[in-house]
Amino acid sequence: MCIANLQRLQYFFVKATFVAVTILCCGRGGVCQELKTSLVTPAFFSETISPLLEKHCIGCHGPEEQEGGLRLDSVTGISTGGKSGSAVVPGAVDESLLMSALQYMDEALQMPPEEKLSSEAIEAFSQWIQAGAPHPEGRVVVHSPPPVFDPVESRKFWSLTPPVRPHIPHVLHPEFVVSPIDGFIESQLEAKGLLPAAVADKTTLIRRATFGLTGLPPTPDEIDRFLADDSPNAFEKVIDRLLSSPHYGEHWARHWLDVVRYADSNGLDENIAHGNAWRYRDYVIESLNADKPFDQFVKEHLAGDLLVGPDTSQSKKIEFLTATGFLTMGPKVLAEGDQTKMLMDIIDEQIDTTGRAFLGLSLGCARCHDHKFDPISQADYYSIAGIFQSTETMESLVRIAKWHENSIASPEEQESHRQYLLTIDTKKTEIENLIKHSQEEITHASTALPNSTESRGNEKGSAVISEEKFPENVRTQLSQLREEQKALEGAVPQMASAMGVQEKSSQESRIHIRGSHLSLGRRVSRGIPAVLEIDSPLSIAAGSGRKELAEWMVHPRHPLTSRVLVNRLWRWHFGRGIVATTENFGILGEKPSNQPLLDWLAVELIESGYSLKKMHRAIMLSRTYQLSSDPQTCATKEQAAQVDPGNILRWRSDVRRLPSESIRDAMLVVSGTLDRSMGGTLLHVANRAFLFDHTSKDETRYDSLRRSIYLPVIRNHIHDAFWLFDSTDGAVPNGDRGTSTVASQALYMLNSDFVMQVSKAIAESLFVDSPVNLDTDVRTTIAFRRILGRTPAECELVLIKKSAEKIEMQLQMDGIPQAERDLSLWTVLSQTLVTGNEFLFIR
Amino acid sequence: MGQPAEENYSMTHSLVSRRDALQHSSVGFGWLAASALLQQVSPRVYAEHAEQTIPARARRVIFMFMKGGPSQVDTFDYKPKLNADDGKELPFAKPRVQFAPTGNLLGSPWKFQQYGQSGIHVSDLFPHVAKHVDDICFLNSVYGTNAAHGGAALKLHTGSDTFVRPGMGAWINYGLGCENQNLPGFITICPTLAHGGVNNWGSAFLPAEFQGVPLGVASQPSTGAQVKFMKNPRWSKAIQREQIDMLTQLANSQPGFSTETAHDPLLEARLKSFELAFRMQSEMPPVQDLSGETKETLALYGLDNPVTENFGRQCLLARRFAEVGVRFIQVTHSDPKVQWDQHGDLLVGHTEKASEVDKPIAGLLTDLKQRGLLNDTLVLWGGEFGRTPVAQGKNGRDHNPDGFTMWMAGGGIKGGIRHGATDEYGYYAVENKMHIHDVHATMLHLLGINHLKLTYRHAGRDFRLTDVAGKVHADVLA
Repeated sequence: MCIANLQRLQYFFVKATFVAVTILCCGRGGVCQELKTSLVTPAFFSETISPLLEKHCIGCHGPEEQEGGLRLDSVTGISTGGKSGSAVVPGAVDESLLMSALQYMDEALQMPPEEKLSSEAIEAFSQWIQAGAPHPEGRVVVHSPPPVFDPVESRKFWSLTPPVRPHIPHVLHPEFVVSPIDGFIESQLEAKGLLPAAVADKTTLIRRATFGLTGLPPTPDEIDRFLADDSPNAFEKVIDRLLSSPHYGEHWARHWLDVVRYADSNGLDENIAHGNAWRYRDYVIESLNADKPFDQFVKEHLAGDLLVGPDTSQSKKIEFLTATGFLTMGPKVLAEGDQTKMLMDIIDEQIDTTGRAFLGLSLGCARCHDHKFDPISQADYYSIAGIFQSTETMESLVRIAKWHENSIASPEEQESHRQYLLTIDTKKTEIENLIKHSQEEITHASTALPNSTESRGNEKGSAVISEEKFPENVRTQLSQLREEQKALEGAVPQMASAMGVQEKSSQESRIHIRGSHLSLGRRVSRGIPAVLEIDSPLSIAAGSGRKELAEWMVHPRHPLTSRVLVNRLWRWHFGRGIVATTENFGILGEKPSNQPLLDWLAVELIESGYSLKKMHRAIMLSRTYQLSSDPQTCATKEQAAQVDPGNILRWRSDVRRLPSESIRDAMLVVSGTLDRSMGGTLLHVANRAFLFDHTSKDETRYDSLRRSIYLPVIRNHIHDAFWLFDSTDGAVPNGDRGTSTVASQALYMLNSDFVMQVSKAIAESLFVDSPVNLDTDVRTTIAFRRILGRTPAECELVLIKKSAEKIEMQLQMDGIPQAERDLSLWTVLSQTLVTGNEFLFIR
Repeated sequence: MGQPAEENYSMTHSLVSRRDALQHSSVGFGWLAASALLQQVSPRVYAEHAEQTIPARARRVIFMFMKGGPSQVDTFDYKPKLNADDGKELPFAKPRVQFAPTGNLLGSPWKFQQYGQSGIHVSDLFPHVAKHVDDICFLNSVYGTNAAHGGAALKLHTGSDTFVRPGMGAWINYGLGCENQNLPGFITICPTLAHGGVNNWGSAFLPAEFQGVPLGVASQPSTGAQVKFMKNPRWSKAIQREQIDMLTQLANSQPGFSTETAHDPLLEARLKSFELAFRMQSEMPPVQDLSGETKETLALYGLDNPVTENFGRQCLLARRFAEVGVRFIQVTHSDPKVQWDQHGDLLVGHTEKASEVDKPIAGLLTDLKQRGLLNDTLVLWGGEFGRTPVAQGKNGRDHNPDGFTMWMAGGGIKGGIRHGATDEYGYYAVENKMHIHDVHATMLHLLGINHLKLTYRHAGRDFRLTDVAGKVHADVLA
């Protein structure tokens, strides 16, 4: 009962807003509207409109047929409308679907289909609607359609019910339970009669943890220290050390950038530079390193600009403004000629990304129709669209359109910028004065001569005199001053700005029928999907509503945000999410393989104050994280291979390939060439300049030894190694990169300049501080330690020695000079080691 | 019906093959898995899921992309009334959204003549192609939605001008796989990096193996067009052979990575990928080596003339890739200037562009025919849009996505016909309108693929090249 009342209230709310808006629209009509209205007499419908309907419409929308569910032969039919919503909104021509159909505005909805009505006939309809659509049978009343989904019933779906802390299950083998996480895992394994594998050896563990947290390999020293540390909390110490490394933020920022489709260029039709995107990337790195609470992080993403108060420090202000770059970085069709379409496409991208990134919902599906699977209606979609329509993302929609950037210049920078502009003004004044002065002088001289034809005097006696008449020294001075002005103008210092949004006048969105901005339906109030309301609809006091949206997103009883995040963390640690479809927690998404575990993690996240670092510790200190990947260490490996060959239940660890960025970074590390400096941009083209124009000239450059996260992400043209090894160019959110195995990857490892250079650098390092004629076994041992972090086995020494001999002979046959042969040999061998599975995979 | 889906796809790999792998562990396990990973996964997946089969009329596609937008009314869409009314005002409304302001009707500066049995009119821009009209089906009523280069190019290649979607070549490669296991199934020769760039031939959410492999880029002459990383700058084949052998041997000695203990088909598959790469290195260069072609053949493609040489080489390479079983081959006619994009100086620009491609295109058609390849090769020609019959400035034409001409030849196409029509001036498609989605649907049909069934599940739904539209135009089928 209570809920039914609530629903009714909600309808009332929607309707009330609607009426208010209609009234406003009518009000704007002004005088013109009154004039038109006066033409519409009570008989107007029967004399003019009815015959038109009879002749052109009723055949398909009457008693015989009801195309699109629409009947126009009664006031009830007109009021109810068809599948696409109400046909007529009394008093609002622009909002009446009938008018857009008659006016042939949208190619997909043109009525009558055979031929457009005469302009007089269309005008008649327009007048009738403007006058309030008077109908002899009564009033045309616009109904809000009933909700397509029952919110109460829909909320029973697992992911739409808020998580509650589950009991940690009792298990038969408590010896396998080190942390609550293990309890949830063990419970499921026992239900299938399985036992977990043994814990991995320490060399494996430190490699797994170091790559896992920092994306880099452990150094031989770090490995040695860990192996020598017999204390019970040795691994914990490693985790804490890694979590406090700045490389942690770099690695986990890269994960997050996948989710927010980060890129340094637009990519889509016009590939121009996101010259300030790097500020957002650095913001993410710094936020993660500082362990910024995730709820704050989310709020800054959606509404950072609204968090800036009078007391906000300059550095915080920059952080807040930079965070909203999240909303701006999507790929856009910047040369779209239809500006309204462009804007709605951009908003759609924002909605879809926000949905996938934070909610694990494909909200974008509801742009053209109610979501086919999830309880998200088209009205829900446009209620969010209204929030983004009330937000300024674009500075200009004129081809090539420009996204908005917020100034983040310090007061000093602003002042020096102002000063600079003043210098230009001064220069201009100087030029003007000189001209004026010279003209006056010449005029003065010439007035002495009567009837001069050299100059045309005006009433005041002053004259316009061509500069050619100026004395030469003045002309030289002028041209010099102009040069100086030009130079100054050409070098105006760019004030620091960050991609991001700001508020604009608030507006409610109208449902776009079939997603088309040319067929607009009823207006919906701004808000969030009804099924996700927590206690009440979103209440927007003032502004766009982004602040409220952000608050709602991190509400402790929000069913999705915390679950989606902890699932991401799990995915990045283990290679597979508890919900495998990291961006889809909807009906077509995968069900969680272990919901109690997911919910426990979600509640833990909230109760730990949204600390990601605490979550990492909790996960990595579990026995589950530390399991060996070797099935031989599992006592029930035969059953496990039958029951759970995909290791969904996590009875062991998986062997996993490194992400592309780690492959490159690890190669730089072992070759001793990694530049560890942090932050800043490596983009060498100006903001908004083309990376690729119609000339197909390639302006991308990746010649840097910095960590991969600092290489620009040029959409359409990311670094070869990233492209080949399943990275993302940030076109869409992707929290679950694939792992492909294709021959072109092998070609890259075999032939690319990068791998060749890295291999050579390793080889060179093997000759530093060691005699040229060092025993092959000794040098192999150095190489193994450097590249793989371990000493070679006896059989490997034999194998390398044998191969080395063959390669040496071949190099000789290939004509490589004696002097280069040693280095070449070790380059070949090093290349083989960095190309091998052991280097590229963690286990 | 069930469709080949991401889930199914990965299932095939991670579960089925893993199970296979475990069961076959006594007999050098992992080979099945590796072969599934590396070879022809897609046709199997597609064939398993397709409900019905359409007889394939074409086995491969050669797409000749004319970047910039050639004018239909100056090439293959003869409009006498346009010349008659030169300078007059367009008697109907211009499109709601236009790219640039335009003026009155502008007659074509070229003469049209009738050719072949069919008597189809072709302008003097394409005298060589004109000789093939009886093999060509002119699609005179193609239309798209986007009036800007980027959007239109993406629409043409991927079916979407709003989102990043797989290119048509990637879809076809996914649907049919490559006939040659040592070569990629989709090669794009000298593609443009602008206006969608890689997105035009990328695989988007399809597995990476289906993306187009670029051979050079549009800004470089085709003489230097190479697939990246196909050749080592320093090591000989023998050295590389030793490296790969060492990789395999080391893999078996490395703790936790040997196929004995790791039980992971991925590791085995990776080793196999090196073998395949090694074979590709051997197979690719001979296909690109034109030294065995006769003088007559080179002349046929215009390789003996500096004007036609660049595009001629692309066309000849296309034939050679077609011969060795590559499924989808794209050649791009572009240049570092304005390409076919004559907003001004139509006469000069189009004359230059057409002279560069006319002979090579005709040469390719002749050569495919004389080698019996035209029967099962679908040749598709066109730009991202056409041009307006009204003038931009004094002597140019603006972009026109509302009605333009593409053409098809070979593989199951009815030659010597014009399909669809624009209005009397060639502005809007009016008769048998053929949306880009319809072009895609028809092309897939010719390849034996039902465009409604070629789907891939991604982000919770099944995607198609033709989105939620597309209609096969049966009139063009032989």
